[in-house]
Amino acid sequence: MKPAYASGTWRGERFYAFFLPLVTGILVLGAWQYAVKAYNVSPVIMPAPLDILLSFKGIGAELAHHAWVTGKESLLAFFLSCVIGVVLAYLLSLSDTLFASFYPNLVVFQIIPKIALAPMFTFWLGIASTSRISYAIFISFFPVMLAMMSGLSRADVNALRLCKSIGASKWQTLFSVQTPYALPYFFTGAKVAATMSTIGIVTGELISANSGLGFYVVRAQSLGQTPKVFCALLVLCVVGLAVYAIPVQAEARARRWWRGS
Amino acid sequence: MAGFIDVQNVRKVYTTGGGDIEAVSGASFSVEEGEFVAILGPSGCGKSTLLMMAAGLESISSGQIDIASTPMKGPRTSVGIMFQDNTLLPWKTVLENILFPVRIQRRPIEEYRQRAMDLIETVGLRGFADKKPHQLSGGMKQRVSICRALVTDPDILLMDEPFSALDAMTRDEMNDALLSIWDRYRKTALFVTHSIREAVYLSDRVLVMTRRPATVVADIKIPFPRPRSRTIGETPEFNEICARLRGMIDRERLPGSAELAA
Repeated sequence: MKPAYASGTWRGERFYAFFLPLVTGILVLGAWQYAVKAYNVSPVIMPAPLDILLSFKGIGAELAHHAWVTGKESLLAFFLSCVIGVVLAYLLSLSDTLFASFYPNLVVFQIIPKIALAPMFTFWLGIASTSRISYAIFISFFPVMLAMMSGLSRADVNALRLCKSIGASKWQTLFSVQTPYALPYFFTGAKVAATMSTIGIVTGELISANSGLGFYVVRAQSLGQTPKVFCALLVLCVVGLAVYAIPVQAEARARRWWRGS
Repeated sequence: MAGFIDVQNVRKVYTTGGGDIEAVSGASFSVEEGEFVAILGPSGCGKSTLLMMAAGLESISSGQIDIASTPMKGPRTSVGIMFQDNTLLPWKTVLENILFPVRIQRRPIEEYRQRAMDLIETVGLRGFADKKPHQLSGGMKQRVSICRALVTDPDILLMDEPFSALDAMTRDEMNDALLSIWDRYRKTALFVTHSIREAVYLSDRVLVMTRRPATVVADIKIPFPRPRSRTIGETPEFNEICARLRGMIDRERLPGSAELAA
């Protein structure tokens, strides 16, 4: 059945796509606000939404600094994950020997609950940003590699035959035909990696750091400043969205290039 | 002696879990330089496999294919191929798609650009050089794929049921377009099809292939002079040839009918 919001009328679309979720959101926040005030809950346990908003006052610059640190490291981890994922996908796609040697091991490696290894990265690499970025790459490159490999194998069969018939080398075929055909798959992996990179950086910051939003959360919590914890979480959402926006934008560009419009 | 393309007792056997499958058994024929030959047969009779072996895209199990008196080993770059679907790269423009073999073979692009534009003109796509494939109709895409097959001026043109995915009217148009291109460039051509009328209309000779045995069972000369126009399709002679070919294919295809006819 066609969902109601697809009715096509101006009123129907606006109502379902914008007005209804907004009202629902406000109602939930209102209930939260009311419950906290009516039952006199301590702000250390659970601050009310309006109190959270008010506590942004005075900590804006500090939060911006920590957001910048987390955002910068997440971005770096994201880009490196994409590069490492794509390079590994190329190598495993080009060589049957490499594929047979590494692929099953990489899959087993994925079964490890990697979050448990986060403290080890601090142990191995220290408390500098290198350890957090390494950990973030460690949990992010695999989705890119997997998606890219499946994309590289999905190129049109006749396009591959055409390449063979005109004497294209393996590398020429890889770059001029398989890679463009793999792009939609790559972006699926890159979007997962964008989310995972931010999670990886913040996880590292929760364990050991001297700046970043994860560090800020730990410090605010240990001081009993729960409203500030929530402020940091809101900022973290913005940082996460900003990182996620990169593959989304790049995908839109790639699609325009494909379609030529 | 031998023709330009010389197929000698070629077999193709696929080894599967359930035993060997013989896709082509002992096919022999030859094609003269500048000749247009159609390979006609029902689907699944191995005619595409035979063409792919001639293109060097499939290995030959036994026998030999000589091109210009040289045995084939792997793909030969002086062959233009058209596949059943147009196989255009969706992110490239018409001109870029046509120049794709030029770029892959590292030939000087500038020297071939004019030839590509001439080909675009010949197939009636003037003004479409900068369009992307999704902006073209099915017939137009196949026209681009003809241009791509011819851009490097190969000496052989191999076509694997290139128009079978098109509707009947577009297909007639494409046949005319192919004839006019071929009259102009005169390549040695092998054309695989399961349409009897298409085979007769386009070619100098029709080779009939059947499933059992998967080999060439007849070699029919088509006597119409060139350039041809669609009106030959209404002549009694044309229809007589078609009926004869139809008879050969039916006889081989119906189980048990070969014995009945004998």
